[in-house]
Amino acid sequence: MAMQLDISDIGTRENRLGSITGYVGDLKDLANQSNCGSLKGGVRCFSQSSTCLSGCALGQLSGIRDVAVIHHGPAGCSVTGAQIYTVTKQVAKKRGVVNNTVYIGTDMSEEDTIFGAGDSLHDIVVETNRRYKPKAIFVSSSCATGIIGEDIDSIVAELKDEIDVPIAAIHCEGFKSRIWASGFDLSDHAVLTTIVKEPKQKRNKINFKNFYESARDDIIALFKNFDVEPVFLYANATVEELSHISESLATVCICGTLGNYLGNGLEEKYGVPYIRTINPLGVVGFETWLREIGKTIHKETEVEQYIQAERIKYLPQIEEVKKELKGLRAVLGMGPGYTFEVSRVLQELGMEVVWAAAWHYDKRYENGEIPPAMDYLLKNTPNFEVSVADQQNFEILNILNTYKPDLYLSRHPGSTVWAIKQGYPAVYVADEYMIFGYKRTLEFAHTVLDTIRNRSFEKNLAKMVKLPYTDWWYKQKLDLFLEKTK
Amino acid sequence: MSKVTENPRGNCVLGGINAVLGAIDRACPIFHAGPGCCMQTSAGESGQAGGKTPFFVSSVSIPSSNMLEKEVVFGGEDKLRSTIQGAIEVIDAKAYFVLTGCTAGIIGDDIVSVVDEFRAKDLPVYAIETPGFAGNSDYGYETVFKVFLDQIVEKERPKQKNLVNLLGIIPNHDPCWSGNFEELTRILNKLGLEVNTFFTQHQGMEEIKNSGAAALNIIVNPWLLKDAAEQYETDFGVPSLRIVGLPIGATDTTAFIRQVAVVLELDTVRVEAVIAEEEEYVYNYLETAIGVLSWKRFAVVGDSNMAIGLTRYLANDYSFTPLLIILTEPMFREEDKERIRNRLTSLEYAKAPTILFESDQYHIAKALAENEEITLLIGSTNEREIGLQKDIQCSVIFFPITDRLIFNRTYAGYRGSLTLTEDLYDNL
Repeated sequence: MAMQLDISDIGTRENRLGSITGYVGDLKDLANQSNCGSLKGGVRCFSQSSTCLSGCALGQLSGIRDVAVIHHGPAGCSVTGAQIYTVTKQVAKKRGVVNNTVYIGTDMSEEDTIFGAGDSLHDIVVETNRRYKPKAIFVSSSCATGIIGEDIDSIVAELKDEIDVPIAAIHCEGFKSRIWASGFDLSDHAVLTTIVKEPKQKRNKINFKNFYESARDDIIALFKNFDVEPVFLYANATVEELSHISESLATVCICGTLGNYLGNGLEEKYGVPYIRTINPLGVVGFETWLREIGKTIHKETEVEQYIQAERIKYLPQIEEVKKELKGLRAVLGMGPGYTFEVSRVLQELGMEVVWAAAWHYDKRYENGEIPPAMDYLLKNTPNFEVSVADQQNFEILNILNTYKPDLYLSRHPGSTVWAIKQGYPAVYVADEYMIFGYKRTLEFAHTVLDTIRNRSFEKNLAKMVKLPYTDWWYKQKLDLFLEKTK
Repeated sequence: MSKVTENPRGNCVLGGINAVLGAIDRACPIFHAGPGCCMQTSAGESGQAGGKTPFFVSSVSIPSSNMLEKEVVFGGEDKLRSTIQGAIEVIDAKAYFVLTGCTAGIIGDDIVSVVDEFRAKDLPVYAIETPGFAGNSDYGYETVFKVFLDQIVEKERPKQKNLVNLLGIIPNHDPCWSGNFEELTRILNKLGLEVNTFFTQHQGMEEIKNSGAAALNIIVNPWLLKDAAEQYETDFGVPSLRIVGLPIGATDTTAFIRQVAVVLELDTVRVEAVIAEEEEYVYNYLETAIGVLSWKRFAVVGDSNMAIGLTRYLANDYSFTPLLIILTEPMFREEDKERIRNRLTSLEYAKAPTILFESDQYHIAKALAENEEITLLIGSTNEREIGLQKDIQCSVIFFPITDRLIFNRTYAGYRGSLTLTEDLYDNL
C-alpha cells in the first residue's frame, strides 16, 4: 500500500498494518492466522493501564535539537515533558552539544473544553516562536482537543504564513489507537512531510533510527570501516541534519517498530534503501544486518573482513558463557520490535523461551511483508507460546506464576518491578543497544548470568510484599477477559 | 484559559487524585480514561517525586478502561462496568475509586450510576466525577478529600479527645511526604496524641472513616483544604488549625507544638519538657558543625508549603539571607497569596526577599538569571541546569525530582532540619 505523505494525519497501526493487542496462543498459530487473514485480535472487557501514542510521538520529536513541542491539552498530558527535557539535555551534555528544545504545555481548562481554545493556541505558538526562536515547531492535539473538534490543521496552516520555520500538526488524540507505537509513525510523518527536503546530492551517510544514541561512538567507529558516517535520529539531531536524510545511502534502525515508517517513507519517496533484515541484536542478527548494509552500499568485502576479525575475538568467549546459560527458561514482555528479536537471541545463547508476550503485533509492515524477526523464528526455531497484550501486568504475573521461569525480561521498567515483587529475577532491557553486536551480546549474556545467580533480593522481597492480585486470578486462564471481535 | 507553560510542574486533576489514592493502604484506582492517562499521571506525579512508586498498585497494574474511538462515539459506560467488575475479581483491594478522564468527562458518561450498581451490592466502590481538565494536581488532592467527606467519613463515631488528623502534606507529590508525616507524627505522639495521616504505616480506609472522631485537624499547608476544613467543621464538628508552611527547625517546630497545645489544652509541663528535649537534641548537633557551611544568599523555587518552611529555617535558625522566593504551584485566591507573602516576610533579615508566584519555567529561569547576588539555589531538578550556568551551589529538594531517590528522608520538624543542613553540605 502506498504511503500517504501528502496529508497531515495518518491511519493508526490497526488500520494500516492490521496490528492487534489481544491474542493468546503460539508463534506458529499467530503466523498462520496472519497469513490467511483470519487474525482479528481480541478486546479485553477488563484491562489495566495501557499507554497512549502521544508519549511515543512527542518523546521522539522533543529529542530533536532546538525545536519547540507544543502540547495542546490539559496539564496532565504534558507533564512528562519535564522528564524528556532532563534526559535530552543530559544526553546532549554527554556528547558535548547543547540542546535548547522546549516542551510547552497549554494548560487547557474546563472553559476551553466548552468554548475551544483555538485563538489562544494561535497566540501560544506565536509567543513560543518569539521567546525561544526554535528551528521547528510541532503542535500536538490531545484527547480533549480531539473530542471538542479543535482544528489544529487550520491553525497550523494559518501560522505557516506568520512563522518562517517548519511547523507541523501532530494528531495525538490518545483514544485513536490501542498501539502507542502509532506515535512513532506520527513523529516520522511530521519529519518526512515538513522537514526532509528533496535530495540534491548523495552523501556518504547512513540514517540510523534509534532512541538515545548510547552506542554512538561504537557505531561511528564501526561504520568508519566502510567509509560511511551514521546520522543518528532523532535524539539530538539538528533540523538541518534531518533536512538532508533523503540524501543518505540507506536507512537502518535498532528497532523495527520504531524505524518502519521512516525507513519505508524515505525509500518510497526518495529511493533511500531501507535495510529490512532482522535487527543487529545477537550474533546472527548483527551479521545478517551488517552483510545487507555491505550489499546495499557495495562494501561486501570490507564487511566480510570485519566480521571475520570480530568473530575470532568474540565467538570463543560467547561459546564459553553459553555453556552456563544452557537450558535456562525465560519469559519475555516487550514491544514486538524487541520481543521476537530477543526471543531469537535467547535461543541463540542456548536458553529456552517458554512464553513471549508482545505489547502489540503488526501483521505486516509498511511494505506488506510480515516482520522479519517473526519470519526468522518461524523458519529457524521451535514453536513457543505467545501472547499479545498492551502490557496488562495481571496477565504477565499469571504467566510467571504458571510457568515459573528462571528469568523475566522486559523493556518496560514498570513491568520488571512487578515480576521482581513476585520473586522472579528480571532483566530490564532499558538500553536499546544492550544486545547490539558481538561485544554487547557477550555482555548481555553475563548480565543474564549475574541476574539469575544472585536472587537474594527477589527472594527476600517477595516474602514481605503483598501483591495486588487475588488468589482467584492466579488460577484463571490467561484469556479469561479476552473477547473475540466480531 | 490556555497559556504558555514551559515544563509544567503540576499535573491534571487525575494526577493529583492518583497520587493520593496510591498512598492509601490497598486502595485501587480505576481509570475511566484514555489509554495514556494512567501512565502519564503516574509518571508525572510519583514518577517525579523522588523515584518511589506507590506500593500496592501503580502505573501498569492500575485498572483502566482505556477508552478508544468506540467509547467516544457510543459512550463508555459498558466498558466501565466490565472494568470495575474485573477489578473487583482480579485486584485484592479494600476500596476501589473510579477516576474520570477528559474523554469520559466531555462525552458525559454517567459514572455515578454505574458505580451505584456496585454500591447497591455493598461493594466498596466510589465515584470521583471530577474530570482531568477541571484543574491541576493540587485540586486533585482537594478533590479526594471531598470524596472522603461526602462518601466515606462516618458520622456516628465516638469523639476521641487525643486523636488528630494530620493533613496538608501531599503524598506521592511532595518528595519527602512519608518522612515528613513520620517526623511530625513522632512529635505529636510525644505530646500524647494519636495521629491519623491516612497514608503512612498502612493507614487507610479505617482511619479515613474514623477521622470525624478527631479532636482537631492540623492542616500543615498555607492554602490547601479550605473547603475540607469547613466541611469537617460543619458535618463532623472537627475544627481545624492551619499551620502556614511546613515547620522546619527549632523555631517553627516549637511554635507548631505550642499552637497545637493551646488549641487542645495539653498539659503545659509535658509540652515544655518535649520542646526542651527536642531543641537540645538539635542544638547539640548544630554546635558541632559551626562554620562548616559558609554563609549564603539564597533563592528558593518550589511549592509554597516547603518553600515557606525552608526559607524560614534558613533565615530564622541558620542566619542565611533570603533573596528570591518563587512559589510554583498555581494559586487563584488573593487571600492565599497574601497569607504566604506575610509568612515569608515576617522573618529575620536585613532586607525583605522578592516573592514571585510563577509556574512557567521560562519566567523562573529569567528571574534567577537576573539576580546576580544568589550564591545558593534550592529548587527542583528543573533548576539544576540554571545552577550550573550560574556556577553556584544548587540543592534539589522540591518536586519534580528525577535525579534523587528518597525513601523516608524528611526535612520537617526538629530532626528534618538537621538532615536539610547535612544535604546542603553534601552538595557544595
